[in-house]
Amino acid sequence: MRTYFPNLTVLALVVLVVGCDQSGSSDGDADNNGKPVVYATNYPLAYFAERIAGDTAAVRFPEIDGDPAFWRPSDAQVADMQGADLILTNGATYEKWAKTVSLPPKKTVDTSVSFASALIEIKDATTHSHGSEGEHSHAGTAFTTWMDFDQARQQAIAVRDALVKAMPDDKETLNANADALLADLAKLHEDMRSVTTAIGDRPLVASHPVYQYFARQYKLKIESVLWEPETVPTEADVADLKRILKDHPAAWMIWEGEPASESVGLLKGIGVESVIVDPAGNRPDQGDWLSVMKRNIDNLRAVAGRSSN
Amino acid sequence: MTIAGPVYLGCRYLWQHRWRSALVTLVVTLGLLLPAAIWLVVDLAEAHLRERADSTPLLLGAKGSSLELVFNGLYFSENDQPRIKLQDANDAAADGLGRSIPIYARYQAQGYTVVGTTVDYIDFRGLQFKKGQAFTQLGDCVVGSDVAQDLNLSPGDALVTTPERVFDLTGVFPLKMRVVGVLAPTGTPDDRAVLADLKTTWVIEGLAHGHQDATQLDDAVLEQRGENRALNASVVEYTEITDDNIASFHFHGDMKDYPITAAILIPRDPKSGVILLGRYVGEDRPLQLIRPAEQISNLFDTVFRIRALVTVLLVVVALSSFLIVGLVLLLSKRLRSAEFMSLRLIGASPGVIRFLVLFEAIAILCISVLLTCGLLVALWFATPWVLTWVV
Repeated sequence: MRTYFPNLTVLALVVLVVGCDQSGSSDGDADNNGKPVVYATNYPLAYFAERIAGDTAAVRFPEIDGDPAFWRPSDAQVADMQGADLILTNGATYEKWAKTVSLPPKKTVDTSVSFASALIEIKDATTHSHGSEGEHSHAGTAFTTWMDFDQARQQAIAVRDALVKAMPDDKETLNANADALLADLAKLHEDMRSVTTAIGDRPLVASHPVYQYFARQYKLKIESVLWEPETVPTEADVADLKRILKDHPAAWMIWEGEPASESVGLLKGIGVESVIVDPAGNRPDQGDWLSVMKRNIDNLRAVAGRSSN
Repeated sequence: MTIAGPVYLGCRYLWQHRWRSALVTLVVTLGLLLPAAIWLVVDLAEAHLRERADSTPLLLGAKGSSLELVFNGLYFSENDQPRIKLQDANDAAADGLGRSIPIYARYQAQGYTVVGTTVDYIDFRGLQFKKGQAFTQLGDCVVGSDVAQDLNLSPGDALVTTPERVFDLTGVFPLKMRVVGVLAPTGTPDDRAVLADLKTTWVIEGLAHGHQDATQLDDAVLEQRGENRALNASVVEYTEITDDNIASFHFHGDMKDYPITAAILIPRDPKSGVILLGRYVGEDRPLQLIRPAEQISNLFDTVFRIRALVTVLLVVVALSSFLIVGLVLLLSKRLRSAEFMSLRLIGASPGVIRFLVLFEAIAILCISVLLTCGLLVALWFATPWVLTWVV
């Protein structure tokens, strides 16, 4: 009889731990242990905040099915944001929903405000749809700001400053963590510059218009179509691409994610190879933002290698 | 004869002539009450207004009557407060010396002012929710406790805005707002306010709107220039913001140029407050930045002077009333000579008769004092409630 007691105690502890873990993993009900709550509207900002805040704050990034740029928060999610201590937004018209929801300005930080004058305006954006996300448009300004790693650095600094302002007692920890992140971003910037210099002015084509800042910073010649990795392009899409290729003879198409094998085959048929440069706007299935960016650089080395040959 | 005798006779006399006694009591009560009531009401009004003004560090608005700015920005009174731009409020807080909370108190919903602001306002005023939550989406509103009680509103109900001009066919449509929260009573103008996001008030004004997809309305096209389509009036504009149509709502022009009537400015520290105030000194500035507490003080300095004058006049009137009452008592002594003679015949001394008259006078005075105190206590409790409706 006595031998059952320890087993029951262990079982109770396991149930308690599992229960706690499950409650902690839910989006809205996470146990913050009294830590300040920081809400981020895309994954790069959430990653920067997690790196800089470390254990000093609970960083929340909602589980979004699809691209966070075309997400719209529910009432409960907006209420969650209102209750947070800090809301990190990307700015640059990334949060198209911001005009129709009520965020507290006191807690909301636009991380791209320091380079607002350098934002790229999108003209004549076409409304389109893909998958179950419904129609969307890329009108406004280009919003994949962090793909220029110098701009990513400025956004990380904005995150650091906002965190320091919100948690002045943790200033030293935050600054130390931020320095480590900024060093990683500087290394990424250098590596990207090195590989894109090797690519030079060889034309490239992007499957989606999300590489404007990337192209500007690293002096790449990129034209865009409106293709999606999981969708096989139609004949009309291929015809549009061929029209672009006449004046812009690209040998590589940059994809946001792993393209369908049929798409890769179609492209190969017209002499275009595929390479993935994932902006990682949403949380990746594996790794983190930094590892995805390193993988992007590795992927581009293939383009550079082919270019230099 | 003991004291009980004249007391009994006095009470009987007052009851026998109760209407005359009541009239005299009323005159004495009014003579005591009016000066005291004026002091009390003015003091309570000052405390009521000052509390809100003291809790609002600085207020930004268009140049003009600073008092009207205070009443619009703090008490949401209906006036034609000149408008400023949202950018003006942003500029005031741009360099980190403080932060601003915009106020746009212009439109009405079923007799109550719709106050466009940000959710920071709820935090700033320390408002608590009796039911529901803060506004989260365009078209949401939070109602004060009096509004909820008067219109029987709860979260989930709708509240329709009132058009500015009923017969203006070119005016904007009334907006059907979604009530998402009811505030707990505060005893302040927030109880009688409808709080909404600033952007919602701009929708009410017609600066932002949602309508059918213009690219799908080929029959409604008046003119097409490149990507721009001018559509005729057959386009259906949405008068209610729902999950299905919220994405179609858009703002024309730059939101920074959109109007507000005031902005609460919260300086980082007292020194920042002084620097901010200094920036808005000068006749050439189209804006004014004021300390609401100072404006209320100035207002009450004037009110206090008027109160002192009115009190002196009322005291003179009261003294006159008391003299008349005294005269009435003296005259009644002559009228009651037969009664007093009877009392003498049954053995009452002149002292007892004088005590009887004195008792009657003191009884009337005591009743008047008690009535005055009771009315002042009632006024003490009622005034704050009345003030929330008046101011």
